[in-house]
Amino acid sequence: MTERAISISLKIPDNTAYTALVALRRLGVDVARVERSEIWIFDDGGDVRALTRRIESDETIFNLHKHRLELLDRCAPRAGEVWIEPLCHPEERALRLRSGQAPRASRRAKDEGERIGIAWRLFGADGAPVSRGLLDMAAERLLCNPAIEKVTR
Amino acid sequence: MSARIAVPVFPGTNSEDETVRLLRDCGGDAELVHWSKAEELALYDAFVLSGGFAYEDRIRAGAIAAHDRIMDYVMEAARCGKLVFGVCNGAQILLEAGLVPGTGSGRKPTAAFAKNLPEPHFVCRHVYLKLSIEPSRSAITAALPHGALVPAWAAHAEGRLAAAPEHLKEIVEGDHLAFVYAHADGGVDDAAVPNGSALRCAGLVNREGNVLAIMPHPERDAWNFNHLDRREGADVLAPSGGAVLFRSFVQAVSATQASHPEPRPEGACRRTRASE
Repeated sequence: MTERAISISLKIPDNTAYTALVALRRLGVDVARVERSEIWIFDDGGDVRALTRRIESDETIFNLHKHRLELLDRCAPRAGEVWIEPLCHPEERALRLRSGQAPRASRRAKDEGERIGIAWRLFGADGAPVSRGLLDMAAERLLCNPAIEKVTR
Repeated sequence: MSARIAVPVFPGTNSEDETVRLLRDCGGDAELVHWSKAEELALYDAFVLSGGFAYEDRIRAGAIAAHDRIMDYVMEAARCGKLVFGVCNGAQILLEAGLVPGTGSGRKPTAAFAKNLPEPHFVCRHVYLKLSIEPSRSAITAALPHGALVPAWAAHAEGRLAAAPEHLKEIVEGDHLAFVYAHADGGVDDAAVPNGSALRCAGLVNREGNVLAIMPHPERDAWNFNHLDRREGADVLAPSGGAVLFRSFVQAVSATQASHPEPRPEGACRRTRASE
């Protein structure tokens, strides 16, 4: 099994990313551009092209007219990026088990893929990804609610 | 002049009209305040954050609104002891802002109303909120009887209280669990909970008791015509059960204002003069 991280972002203007940009600036985080994408983990079965075709034909997660798909080099955030992943507290785990659902937050890729969370990528005025310090500030002040989410850097 | 209540309107708020109408029906002097006029909030004695989808729930429900200029005023006012009441999206905003349960520091949230479970879908269901604190624990609930049942409509996709075990413990031990979901007969069990909420929580109050956040909408069960069991033949505008919580809030606002007859001079802590 080869885990493959996929980024699915909008190729049309992303209003949420723009709102985040404005809010972050208001909160004193000096950023010039914000990109947002969904991160999925798939088992590529050793055939990346087949995986790409499979995702592009899955209308539940990908719309060819408005989404862009990117295969990431590794299952980790890129430079200037944080992944905001939902936490699964014991209460939630117990509730899911009681209702016959699998506990979430295993990072094992399944055939149908698993949505890991939201990736936020921040760029400075020079067009380069922002520093780790600025990323931490952005996550702490706005992008992550530590009560229900965790940050992967 | 009676105490003035502001109902702030963020882009995406959608329950402001029925909220203002019910506050007025309960004797409150309520007005809408547009998000672009945040500075006007200094003229008000209390705040009700109504339901909707502020800023389209971008990033997370309530996240952007929690950092809006409006909330700068509301937070400062809450610090000064003014009453703040949030319903549904308003409650989500209060949690995102860290005002309730208020066990963290500054704007750091320690809990959230997260996606419903076990089905992560929007829920629209009639519910009952049961007061689970002593009424006097919060000025806002002070006029309710012990264990009061308040009918309301749950209408949300993110209403499940979620927090780390240590923060849930703080909520219980700090007596922050203001309302739990209940059946019409007052019985409390998991079947009454529409969203998988931890502690069966329907509402939280802060330590000082002046900020209350509830997920379901009592203002949508405030008149006979929108009560679950419409009473045939009764006046369609006769008050229904949901009005009791708003009435208690308005009474608390009036009492608070009466106890501060002189206006404080500046900003969000200013109070309208009782004699004005």
